[in-house]
Amino acid sequence: MRKDIGMETLDYDVAIVGSGLAGLRTAIEVLRRDKGKLGLKVAVISKIYLMRSHSVSAEGGTSAVLYPEEGDSFELMAWDTIKGSDFLADQDAVWRFVHIATQEIRLIERWGVPWNRREDGRIEQRWFGGLSFPRATYAQDKTGFFEMRALYDTLLKYDNWDRFDENFVTSIVIENNEFKGFTAIDLKTGNFRYFRAKAGVIATGGAGQLYRITSMAVSSTGDGYGLAYNAGLPLKDMEFVQFHPTGLVPRGILITEAARGEGAYLINKDGERFMQKYAPSKMELAPRDIVSRAIMKEIMEGKGIYDEKSGLYHVWLDMRHLGKERIEQKLPFIREIGLKYLGIDIVDQPLPIRPTVHYNMGGIHVDIDGKVLDSTGTPVKGLWAAGEAACVSIQGSNRLGSNGTNECLVYGYIVGNDIYNYIEKERPALPSPSQNILTTEEDRIFGKLLGKESGGEDVYEIRDELKDTMEKYVHVYRTGSDLEKAVVKIRELKERYKNIRLTDKSRVFNYNLEHALELGNMLELAEIIARGALLRTESRGAHARLDYPNRDDTNWLKHTIALKGADGPLFSYIPVKITMWKPVARVY
Amino acid sequence: MKVRIRRYDGQKEWWQDYEVDVKSSDTVLDVLNKIREKQDHTLAFRLSCQMGSCGSCGMVINGLPALACQTRISELKTDSIRIEPLYNYKVIKDLVVDLNEFVNKHRSVKPWIIRKNPEELEEAPIEFKVTPEQNLTFVQFDYCIMCGICLAACPTVAIDPLFLGPQALGQAYRYIADPRDEGFEERIDILDDSHGVWRCHFAGACSYVCPKGVDPAKAIQFLKKEILKYRLLHKKKAATKPAELVEKAPPPNAPKPPPFDFKFEGGV
Amino acid sequence: MGEDKKEKRYKTGLLRSLWPYNFNAERYSYTLHRITGVILALYLIAHVFEIYHFALGPVAWEQTIALLGSLGIWEKIGLWIIAGSALYHGANGLRLILNEVFGMLLGKPVLPEYPYTPTSLSRNQKIAIYVILAIVIALWIWAGLYLLEGLGII
Repeated sequence: MRKDIGMETLDYDVAIVGSGLAGLRTAIEVLRRDKGKLGLKVAVISKIYLMRSHSVSAEGGTSAVLYPEEGDSFELMAWDTIKGSDFLADQDAVWRFVHIATQEIRLIERWGVPWNRREDGRIEQRWFGGLSFPRATYAQDKTGFFEMRALYDTLLKYDNWDRFDENFVTSIVIENNEFKGFTAIDLKTGNFRYFRAKAGVIATGGAGQLYRITSMAVSSTGDGYGLAYNAGLPLKDMEFVQFHPTGLVPRGILITEAARGEGAYLINKDGERFMQKYAPSKMELAPRDIVSRAIMKEIMEGKGIYDEKSGLYHVWLDMRHLGKERIEQKLPFIREIGLKYLGIDIVDQPLPIRPTVHYNMGGIHVDIDGKVLDSTGTPVKGLWAAGEAACVSIQGSNRLGSNGTNECLVYGYIVGNDIYNYIEKERPALPSPSQNILTTEEDRIFGKLLGKESGGEDVYEIRDELKDTMEKYVHVYRTGSDLEKAVVKIRELKERYKNIRLTDKSRVFNYNLEHALELGNMLELAEIIARGALLRTESRGAHARLDYPNRDDTNWLKHTIALKGADGPLFSYIPVKITMWKPVARVY
Repeated sequence: MKVRIRRYDGQKEWWQDYEVDVKSSDTVLDVLNKIREKQDHTLAFRLSCQMGSCGSCGMVINGLPALACQTRISELKTDSIRIEPLYNYKVIKDLVVDLNEFVNKHRSVKPWIIRKNPEELEEAPIEFKVTPEQNLTFVQFDYCIMCGICLAACPTVAIDPLFLGPQALGQAYRYIADPRDEGFEERIDILDDSHGVWRCHFAGACSYVCPKGVDPAKAIQFLKKEILKYRLLHKKKAATKPAELVEKAPPPNAPKPPPFDFKFEGGV
Repeated sequence: MGEDKKEKRYKTGLLRSLWPYNFNAERYSYTLHRITGVILALYLIAHVFEIYHFALGPVAWEQTIALLGSLGIWEKIGLWIIAGSALYHGANGLRLILNEVFGMLLGKPVLPEYPYTPTSLSRNQKIAIYVILAIVIALWIWAGLYLLEGLGII
């Protein structure tokens, strides 16, 4: 045994992995319900610093029904969400979600979010893609950031929690279908840690880093999906990857949908507002999958503009007609991004944009309360998931813009409450896992990965090839042959991954080790996405097959479930819960 | 392009030079990524969002604290880059600094909405009313992304590590200026302290380097004014009251979803 | 976490705090304000010492005057530096009082517009600094001439 290694065991009632909107909201809800009654101790574990989570980059808005007196209604929001999801959403979950969203908006308003206001002081809302009523509540174009600020600051109010910044969780400890804690590396010291907890929450967000051009942060590598998948838990609907229509060329930085909500135009090479061909009534405000496909179609038809510097084709997003004052009031961050990264002022020039990876509709298979389900559909005792990491499924096969942040808030609330009820009712004891699980995990990381001297593959080379593969073959439009190529390539990369060798052997802030572990998860996810997409022989929401261009409700109105098998993922299917509306053709 | 980076591995410190191919559109963070991915896997630096909204990549670039992800090479107008960790912080490894003290300072000024009646924060029939003009009095200071750059620029932090610093003081003012907040008296003893606002001598360096335009120096001077007003004249800002809900019927022409296809019980 | 370990801070301390290179005009004026403040403090101590000798009686006072006189031109240069320090410290102090006590020259809270130019370091502030510098330098030159006149050089 190496001398410098000491495993540290930390005992908590609730351990939350991920410090984005969902993670923070869950932590606050547990502490808020508790108010010292049970004296619950909460650990918030994040691989980066708290407040650095990718939720801060959410820009556009958060949907909620705030003005029924002006014509909005819960039914309407539920219908928009379900129609937007191409009828793959579980309708009972959507119904619950739209009701709680309203109270969440008002709650975080009291915690300090500076929502944009009407003249009389009430909260202002705006249009967003796929909505029938302007119900995207917003704070300029930094909505997610201000929500994070308010939640983070409010969490600081409570004492009974500890923060574990820069702790990379490596596995979920599950025995006999019971959650027993998380193992993690403390990046600051390189020590191995075991978080022993009565209840665990996975709120780690999405996996945008699988792609080259993505609006998502470098930290969004889908660790939560990988953790659950490697622990033998099923992932649901992973083949649905949302492409945001307006990512800034060349990096894919997000240009919020609110730009179109405020009235921006999409224009092709010929100066034509091409959306009238694809969504004549909603135009630029059609749901994201439709707009993304329209842009890709224009580019495929040769109506895109070629950018010499990056070698990419793009179309224009034109905001010149909005006027400087409106842009300054409502889209200051977009103007800043344009100036900062391209030197383009949106007040007098259009922005070059193309679709960018934005969100994973799929995720860890959970029930309507956010409890993680195992392969048989029974809840794992003591484990929850929330936010983008979970798939309830509210978003179905395509998330509507402005429905992401409120899912985080709503499920933070639901999960926090559910955990509190669970602990209050069942009074579980601290779990005691068999020791060899922990030592095996420790050895996997420090012995077999960090200590390995053989092999010559480089982490970053494999990662680059993976990103290029996904970008090339598993993009907005997919075909059977492309997906097969992708699967072959990913399997090859997985083989090569077994041969990686780390050059950095130090313990303190060994990012090389962290990236290697992330890459392991990313490869698994890439395979699930590519193979799931290959199996689904229809086009639904964000999953568009050129060889199967139509939606097929007779065969494919069902959720994909991926389980880890000995040789890659095993797929099965479960039905969609349809309680309100039957699927109809989706026209905007 | 020559890139010179201040390295530290827990024992020794040294300058290391790298030679990197750069495009004019690259940011300093892209350059660092290239070094880490292609040349030296051991280089440690933080990054996350790459679009200037998370605050991970604060470092000193050519002598000025800045966010690496929003500093373009073409803006630097030099043919070599010198990158150091943030000044005034403890360095853990290479460009990674210890932010724990910084985070604790932020927490110590009670940066959350305080109401005399805490129930008002929990029960919410509708929102507090805040007019756009009132919003404008504090929203600038809410732009803070907690990157910690201002503390690296602040000359007072250099001589008094316990000084709360521009970030925490700016955030204190953000909440004090918020019309929903009633916590002025609770915060004043923390701020009106030997390591509090009066250590600030208005060098303005914090505002100069702030990557988000928060202008903490302005907030601190306003804070001084508010404290003096309270101590000498016993005056403070009044907070708003929770608004009342007014029930109204929806308009007749409101958009409607199609009727339910199933008999629906409507449980939430 | 790790507080007990004595870790070194990077580039910190008194000299660093007085080193405004690369930064804004306000930070230069901060450095000048601090240095002139220290000069005035040292002068005050010396001055109190001088006055103390006056209280001791005519003999001690004569000796002190003689000692100062023996410094020759250096006494005048010292006085000139002290005059300059007092002028700058006073004038810049007035600006800081306007800033800190009355919240003037700072602008109002605004929605920051990219590229961010903080209103607290705005044109008004810069004008104030340059006006102060101009007045201080003019008066300082005048004081220098006055001292030279006292020496009988002019």
